[in-house]
Amino acid sequence: MSKEVLSVKNLNMHYETLSGDVHAVKDVSFSVKEGESFGLVGESGCGKTSVAMSLLQLQADNAKISSGSIQLDGVELVGMNESELRKVRWDGISIVFQGAMNAWNPVVKVGEQIREAIREHYPEKSKAENTEKIESLFKMVGLDAAVIDRFPHELSGGMKQRAIIALALSCDPKVVIADEPTTALDVVIQDQILNEIKKVQQLLGLSLIYISHDIAVIAEMTDQMAVMYAGSIVEIGPTEKVFSTPKHAYTRLLLESTPSVVGEKKKLRSLDGEPPSLINEIIGCSFSPRCPDPSSDCENPIKEMGLVEIEPGHFADNCCVDCG
Amino acid sequence: MGEYIIKRTLQMTVVFFLFLVFSYLLFNAIPGNAFSNLLLNPDLPPDAYNRVLELYGLDKPLFERLQLYIVNFFKGDFGYSYKSFPKTPIELISERLPRTLMLFAIVNIVSFYTGFFIGKILAWRRGSQSETWITLTSVFSYTVFYPWFALMMLWVFGYKLGWLPIGKFLYPEKWYDAPFDSDIVFSSMIKFTIVVSLIQFAAYLATRGIESLSSRRNLRFASLIAIFIGSYFYWNNGAALIKKPYAADIAYHMILPVMVVTIVAFAGTALLTRTTMMEVLKEDYILTARAKGISQKRIRDRHAARTALLPVVTSFIFTIVTIIDGSVLTEQIFSWPGMGQLLLQSVLEEDIPVAMACFSFVGVFALVAHLLADISYSYLDPRIRIKSQG
Repeated sequence: MSKEVLSVKNLNMHYETLSGDVHAVKDVSFSVKEGESFGLVGESGCGKTSVAMSLLQLQADNAKISSGSIQLDGVELVGMNESELRKVRWDGISIVFQGAMNAWNPVVKVGEQIREAIREHYPEKSKAENTEKIESLFKMVGLDAAVIDRFPHELSGGMKQRAIIALALSCDPKVVIADEPTTALDVVIQDQILNEIKKVQQLLGLSLIYISHDIAVIAEMTDQMAVMYAGSIVEIGPTEKVFSTPKHAYTRLLLESTPSVVGEKKKLRSLDGEPPSLINEIIGCSFSPRCPDPSSDCENPIKEMGLVEIEPGHFADNCCVDCG
Repeated sequence: MGEYIIKRTLQMTVVFFLFLVFSYLLFNAIPGNAFSNLLLNPDLPPDAYNRVLELYGLDKPLFERLQLYIVNFFKGDFGYSYKSFPKTPIELISERLPRTLMLFAIVNIVSFYTGFFIGKILAWRRGSQSETWITLTSVFSYTVFYPWFALMMLWVFGYKLGWLPIGKFLYPEKWYDAPFDSDIVFSSMIKFTIVVSLIQFAAYLATRGIESLSSRRNLRFASLIAIFIGSYFYWNNGAALIKKPYAADIAYHMILPVMVVTIVAFAGTALLTRTTMMEVLKEDYILTARAKGISQKRIRDRHAARTALLPVVTSFIFTIVTIIDGSVLTEQIFSWPGMGQLLLQSVLEEDIPVAMACFSFVGVFALVAHLLADISYSYLDPRIRIKSQG
């Protein structure tokens, strides 16, 4: 069994706003092993990106990590100061942002923006070495070497996203976070980019955290996955298991809301209501107001919440295991 | 690019021609002429006035004069000054222009850099108490009534404290036995400034390609020190040594006007930089830069401020365009004998050849500055590329 590269334990993060604290990440724990890809799925506003930002501690100024631990190769990241964090960023954990269109500085050449990251972490490398490195990365993601001297606006959306992947790999990070990397692209390019990420991940043996609201992409891309709802993980386990035997009501509904290409035609299910506001503390099960078939026990505030192991490595929130 | 410049130059020639025609007509619309006061002199025979008009060609009909003026203008003949007769407008301007350029070049460079620097700090420290106070101060100096402010500063520093001279650009008593004209000292000061900035710029360009950030910074610092040592030797050796006390005298007189205009002028740049940079700081690529682990200072200067530069430079170029006409007020207050005073005086005296020459200079300056602005955009923002066709 390969070792854990990243482990997150009981992470809590909230945004301090004028109308109260928004608890965006609640008691989130997961770990990523070497060479493994881990998927994080959930609807908009469920805290996926907040988790990603907490890992690099790039969250907005009003966001506070109140408790929990994030360990990269056994090194604790929570509580690090800015200059220590700067060393971890990109070298330890890099990120492919959603919306590659705006992730490039429009007035600096693409090559220079990648070079800048390498220069920051490996100042001893020569210019020629860096150029060679960037060219090999471009080759890996299917870009022409001439892109080095291009400005971002001279590239197409797909090329920008490929270049972003090259940028994320430029310092040989241990973990790469891909935060909805294909959101702004059309389906054909999406597929190409996904294949590119998969190829690179297998080639370099990267640990990948893939964040998406598209459960089909998660199925294709990941070995392990977690489903997030209202800031907490409601189901986590091997991707295969989660898809074949979903335990949590929300996961089941999420799967039923996606059309399947093969098999019999089924009516897609949709869910009424909206996710709960994260400002107020949620007592009891966060999903019960939208649960199509809540048991009488669901709204019982005294009931112990938390993940239970259903089969080896497959956990689900204990409230919703049987309902829905 | 070459084609674009040629096209623009042709357009500019047309605009400039119209500019000349309208300015000439406007000056002639002023009632009376430069010699009207001769009519009030009872000692002169009535015929004298007409003879003077004839001498200067003012008896000819307006259209004919206009035609003659334009034709001569493009031949490079600007006529003679009515009031200081044997002198041509070119002689008058070339005497006054260096004084104005020296003063306002320094003011503009200083106020642009301070304004840009303060602006980016303000945007960076958004929400802090120092930001609030500095912004309030900037708004004050941006909106203050300039002549009042300049007079107050004169009163405080020139009269109450007595640290700085109240007016003029030199102490005449120091120059009685000077072996040369003040213009010579002025032009060597300007040459010195230009050479220093060119060396500085060349050093910047030469070190651009160096990969290691620390050695790049060290080399730039070294070049700065070399420039300081070089200037020290320049002013303490040879021909420059004799000019040194006189140059120092002029520099001493420049302190107050430079300070006052800078205080008023920096605020516009600072406030504009603050606004544009706050927009830029919300962009995704700032987050990318942070995620890359780049230092805060480099994110601020390289990513945020660099992108926020374009609108600031635009407004700066428009400021440069108004140097000459803007200098009227300043030069009047500080009794600085530059272009602004010449312009005002020639208009008041209806010295049309001089006034026309001054205004043509302002016009050419404005047109060229706009062309340079358009060209510089394509370097500041690569998304703006000037098409050679169409």
